[in-house]
Amino acid sequence: MTRWWTGEELAEAAERLVPGSVARSTATACILEAEHAHEALRALRDDPETNFAHLSNLCGVDQWDRFEVVYHLQSLERNQVACAKVEAFDREEPSVASVVDIWHGAWIQESETYDLFGIRFEGHPNLQRILLWDGYPGHPLRKDFLAMPGGLQPGLNEFAGTAAKPEPPVRPVT
Amino acid sequence: MSEIVQSEPFVMNIGPQHPSTHGVFRVKATVDGERVVDAEMVLGYLHRSMEKLAEERTYTQNIPFTDRTDYLSSMSNNLGYCLAVEKLAGIEVPPRGQAIRVIMAELQRLASHCMGAGAFANDTGAWQTPIMWFMREREKILDIFEMTSGARLTCNYMRIGGVAFDLPDDFEEHVRALIGPLRETIADGEGLLSGNEIFLARARNVAVIPQELAVNASLSGPMLRGSGVAWDIRKADPYCGYEQYDFDIPIGYQGDAYDRFIVRLEEMRQSLRIVEQALEALPGGPHSTEVPLALRPPAGEAYARIESPRGELGYYLVSDEGPSPYRFHIRPPSLINLSVLKEMTVGGSIADAIVALGSIDIVVGEIDR
Repeated sequence: MTRWWTGEELAEAAERLVPGSVARSTATACILEAEHAHEALRALRDDPETNFAHLSNLCGVDQWDRFEVVYHLQSLERNQVACAKVEAFDREEPSVASVVDIWHGAWIQESETYDLFGIRFEGHPNLQRILLWDGYPGHPLRKDFLAMPGGLQPGLNEFAGTAAKPEPPVRPVT
Repeated sequence: MSEIVQSEPFVMNIGPQHPSTHGVFRVKATVDGERVVDAEMVLGYLHRSMEKLAEERTYTQNIPFTDRTDYLSSMSNNLGYCLAVEKLAGIEVPPRGQAIRVIMAELQRLASHCMGAGAFANDTGAWQTPIMWFMREREKILDIFEMTSGARLTCNYMRIGGVAFDLPDDFEEHVRALIGPLRETIADGEGLLSGNEIFLARARNVAVIPQELAVNASLSGPMLRGSGVAWDIRKADPYCGYEQYDFDIPIGYQGDAYDRFIVRLEEMRQSLRIVEQALEALPGGPHSTEVPLALRPPAGEAYARIESPRGELGYYLVSDEGPSPYRFHIRPPSLINLSVLKEMTVGGSIADAIVALGSIDIVVGEIDR
């Protein structure tokens, strides 16, 4: 059976490997300090006791006052799963450190999180929109995406931040 | 007179409308002559923003969405989502419900691998015969799904706390009638392909993924096992009582396209074993527990994962005690298995890129969601 780590257990391990890297912990997750997160995640992967060599899941959550990036770390050898989080507080320009150099598979999930939440991953080799097209206004999984200027509703031709559909030009009758 | 022909790279689009991309998916391949020097994928043609839509609907209303992510294995998707909600809300499923779920998930794996293996044979040039055989068997499985849930592709059969209805009376008879011919078809398909010189030339040592890369790139399912990692969530973290059933985890040794194909075929045999055992020991009792329609799980988060036909299918749910999830995230195995597409294709020929893509067994509905 997989051992699902509590937040406290992960906090203890992270604090042992990189002192000062833990902000706080909850029952299910350990929240890492943003500036030490990259170092702590790398140490959690390399330490033989934690051995989180497989990044199971990476996603973002919009908590209104902050963005969370959630990492589900997994060890195939020791059969254990733990959940770490990193927070970004700047709502205009949220950014966290990229973990692509730690887990290669993270690049596609980070691109998706950037696309849908607008969280920048510093150090990502090729951060660009992956599901939506370039120039799409806004990041749809943000909680305030529906609160659009001018009371516009999502639908064809009317997205957040765009003007209403322009009138077709009137051609003089020849 | 000798003349040096200078070649220069040019960009070629594979897809979005091309049979070998298995859906609306595009690869921008930069090729130099016949060699692929760069491969960039373009996704999103099928993006329906299910994660956003799910935040507006109740937990039960979200089940049909999961059908439409990986449309070749809707039962597995239903199961993964229901497990995540049950984990979040602390709901127990009665033993009969669990056994029915296991039977359905394994039949779904068979149906999906029939498609996967047949389509892969098509991609390697074994044109139509293997896929026709496999589709014939898949058809019978879809008939069983129709008999049980009323739908063939988007079954919407699992419910939070169990399954929607009990099995029909002649279910067992139909499933037993399916097992023998399916075993024969697997043997036929393997006999036709696994020793076939043309197939070996197309699939052996093509799109090799070393074991370290497979783990480091978060691959899962047959992609990970094909590279020699014996990792199956049904064994490692059993759900729905998988620990009661006796089955093996097939693994490959070289991590090439051929190994992944063979792993899929062998998994089908193991699934048949599980179905037989589950039918034998099908417990009585209720098939579902009573769950309020407007379920309000306690505030918190839950991540549940299952071994879907394509790999680790995870659902991450965050609840704020409301009737709909605060955050609904799908961890799609197809998308993450695609993250090594460049490593698999660069350096090979265009024909090998098609084989590499076929060996991932992608479903674009799941990639784009």
